[in-house]
Amino acid sequence: MSVTFPSPTPAAPAAPSAGRRRPRVPFKGDPLGRFGLFLLIALVAIGLFGPALPIGSPTESTGDRLAPPGDGHLLGTDELGRALLPRIVEGIRETILIATGVVLVATVVGVLAGCFAALAGRRVDELIVRATDVIFSFPVFLIAILVSVVAGPGRAAAMAAVFAVTLPTMVRVVRAAALPVVERDFVTAAEVAGASRWRLLRVHLLPNVRGVVIGQVAYAISLGMLIEGGMSFLGLGVQAPAASLGSLVGSGRLYLTIDPAYALVPGVVLGLAVLAFNLVGDALRRETDPTLEREA
Amino acid sequence: MSAPVLELDAVRFDYVAGPPWARRRVPALHGVSLAAGRGETVGLVGESGSGKSTIGKLCLGLLRPQQGAVRFDGAPLDRRAQRGRFAVVLQHPQWSLDPRLTVAASIEEPLAISGTGTKASRRAQVEQMLAEVGLDRDFADRYPAELSGGQRQRASVARALITEPRFVLFDEAVSALDVSIQSQILNLIRRLQRQHGFAALFISHDLAATRYAADRIVVMRGGEIVDEGTAASFYEPSTHPYTRALQRASEI
Amino acid sequence: MAFLEARDLVVEYATRRGPVRALDEASLEVAAGEVVGVVGESGSGKSTIGVALARLLPGNARVSSGDVLVGGRSVLAMGDEELRALRRDTLGFVFQDPIGTLDPTARIGRQLGWMIGGKPGDRELVEHLERVRLPDPERTLRAFPHQLSGGMAQRVSIALALARAPQAVIADEPTASLDASVRSEILELLVSLTREAGTALMLMSHDLRAVRRFCTRVAVVYGGRVVETAPAQELFSSPQHPYTRALLDAAPGAEAPGETLRPIAGIPPVLHGAFRGCAFVGRCACAVEACSVERPVVHSDDHDVLCHLAPVKEKAA
Repeated sequence: MSVTFPSPTPAAPAAPSAGRRRPRVPFKGDPLGRFGLFLLIALVAIGLFGPALPIGSPTESTGDRLAPPGDGHLLGTDELGRALLPRIVEGIRETILIATGVVLVATVVGVLAGCFAALAGRRVDELIVRATDVIFSFPVFLIAILVSVVAGPGRAAAMAAVFAVTLPTMVRVVRAAALPVVERDFVTAAEVAGASRWRLLRVHLLPNVRGVVIGQVAYAISLGMLIEGGMSFLGLGVQAPAASLGSLVGSGRLYLTIDPAYALVPGVVLGLAVLAFNLVGDALRRETDPTLEREA
Repeated sequence: MSAPVLELDAVRFDYVAGPPWARRRVPALHGVSLAAGRGETVGLVGESGSGKSTIGKLCLGLLRPQQGAVRFDGAPLDRRAQRGRFAVVLQHPQWSLDPRLTVAASIEEPLAISGTGTKASRRAQVEQMLAEVGLDRDFADRYPAELSGGQRQRASVARALITEPRFVLFDEAVSALDVSIQSQILNLIRRLQRQHGFAALFISHDLAATRYAADRIVVMRGGEIVDEGTAASFYEPSTHPYTRALQRASEI
Repeated sequence: MAFLEARDLVVEYATRRGPVRALDEASLEVAAGEVVGVVGESGSGKSTIGVALARLLPGNARVSSGDVLVGGRSVLAMGDEELRALRRDTLGFVFQDPIGTLDPTARIGRQLGWMIGGKPGDRELVEHLERVRLPDPERTLRAFPHQLSGGMAQRVSIALALARAPQAVIADEPTASLDASVRSEILELLVSLTREAGTALMLMSHDLRAVRRFCTRVAVVYGGRVVETAPAQELFSSPQHPYTRALLDAAPGAEAPGETLRPIAGIPPVLHGAFRGCAFVGRCACAVEACSVERPVVHSDDHDVLCHLAPVKEKAA
């Protein structure tokens, strides 16, 4: 039946699982994750290199208003005769850039605040948690309206809204992941050896919450794109002649019966982008399991 | 006996509990005095709530006494200023080492914190320390997940001793290990102490392990020392009722 | 008759380095109402016996041969509905990591409600937590698992395990992840509650002292087999298997002052297939030739020993 070995194998170490080793091929054996990654790379590539392609200018009129797709303009034109294809490419770029850029800033702030909350003891922790609660409880659009009143509607308002939504979640997620790490024996041992808070953060906390943070960043970006989309759709965010996916849906909505592709195409693209980041986030979470190694 | 390395002098400590508007003081220690001299291991036994873990935190400078003093080499204990001169081995082998660091990086950490030596000299020290705790050199570049519980606890002993500390706290250091591993680690601790001559405090709920590891034992209950004696005396049935109960619980 | 029974159970895990045999014809019986300690080092296979009893083995595990019976019925042959009933009503589980066992997203009251029916706030829920001697049951019912200490969470797990009055509780190292100072309280609680209810308890532990104190019978697991089973007092006073003897010698507690403890030399084996001899042969001080070529069979009456050197009594079928 089974093989017989002459003597018990001496090597006892548990199989080195998850922990450190990353597969060389991203998301090996994870078709959904791979699909998401493919989609994401495709969209980012379009956003980055699309404008360099000979697809026309996103801001100059072709003189041909609300043309249907095909017919010289691959995706038709808008109400001012601007070609939609370059505008959508521009929109992808704008939406992804705003969401990614803001989320990266929110991540840096959130990781520092979350780790510091976990490290610094009860009072500071309480303060940081309550502060995020306050931001969290503010209606996003109220923040955006405030910013648009001060700075005028535009990119800044959309960015502020994205920041206000993604930061508190990031702080919470990081803090929740960091709290158990702070309790671990190895952190106490480092404290006893005289480690500064900064060192604890850098050497022990950050690497141990990294997996959680990476997954959360992907989710936050997808959420950020939705927020930006919503803001620009309502006219509080990105303003013409610039374009984001949300503002395109917003202006296209008026011509839904005449030229359905105008609103539909940017809408679908936004949906795909959100899906892509979510799938990648899920796959990252599956891969970098946040739970620390345990003995079998 | 020469001057003690670590000394608790009539230490009182209360925890503060409850919300800000209804703070309560929960007394944990009522004036405890305790000293460990060079080369001496003091065992501290007691059940949960006896105050032994509070004493551990005080000895490491993680808490400050509200009354009395904790002195290290005659001076008030200061965790940052006296770093490298005391160290700790804790309870949970699965969490004693950072899963994201190699074994060598973990053991090296106290040296790195105090900025002792060069990278190469520190590495040499790590390898020497690994040999001392009975771990093969190629454990250095492994991650904790690849080590058994006993091996991880050996590595944390190595980390504690790498700065040649004058005082080491063993806080339930063998409690979570398999019995067959317990005796290995206990023997290791005894041998290393003989070689390095550090003072030690061995905190445990387990009288059997403590009397094996310690020279002198202090029994705590409800924040007070209730019994005290040489480790050898704890092999005889005690006349003290509480100590006797602990002895019964540790019979095998 | 045995209520829980593992019969010549062989379980293998598929790993990247090939199959690892966790159980190698392990046999164990727990009678109704009995408190049995299962002792073994990490990796000995004792946890696998526990999860196999409810067919809760992880996905990479395979039962190659043998059988598991609860109340005389083969668990391996059960249909889905019967298996659910077994897990829900007949068996209770207490695991090592109490906080990890509880659902992090639900308050304790809700989780207890799922088990016994009833809404958070019901008097009955409070009573369940009072039974496990939680100091402030109302507050605990409102708490999320991460707000509890390890000891409190384990009390909650015990309340959950006992909530539907199971006939047997399987506790796998229920105190290993807890702070050392609360361990004995938790064990005492578990044992006294199961005893009161007449529930059988299978207590997997590496803590010999606890097992001696609380169990009526003890099984020693080594290399995926139950190498010795005996009434607790007898096992500790006259251990027969060399592994059991070595284990008792290694543990602090029985030595004279000044004597040095003798750890068991070598490390436990990792089996990749059926082992030809006795798995302890490499570390055994008194191994003879037969030990490495012939599988020991059980020598049995009330005290089962799986060793070539054991005094030969009646051979059990």
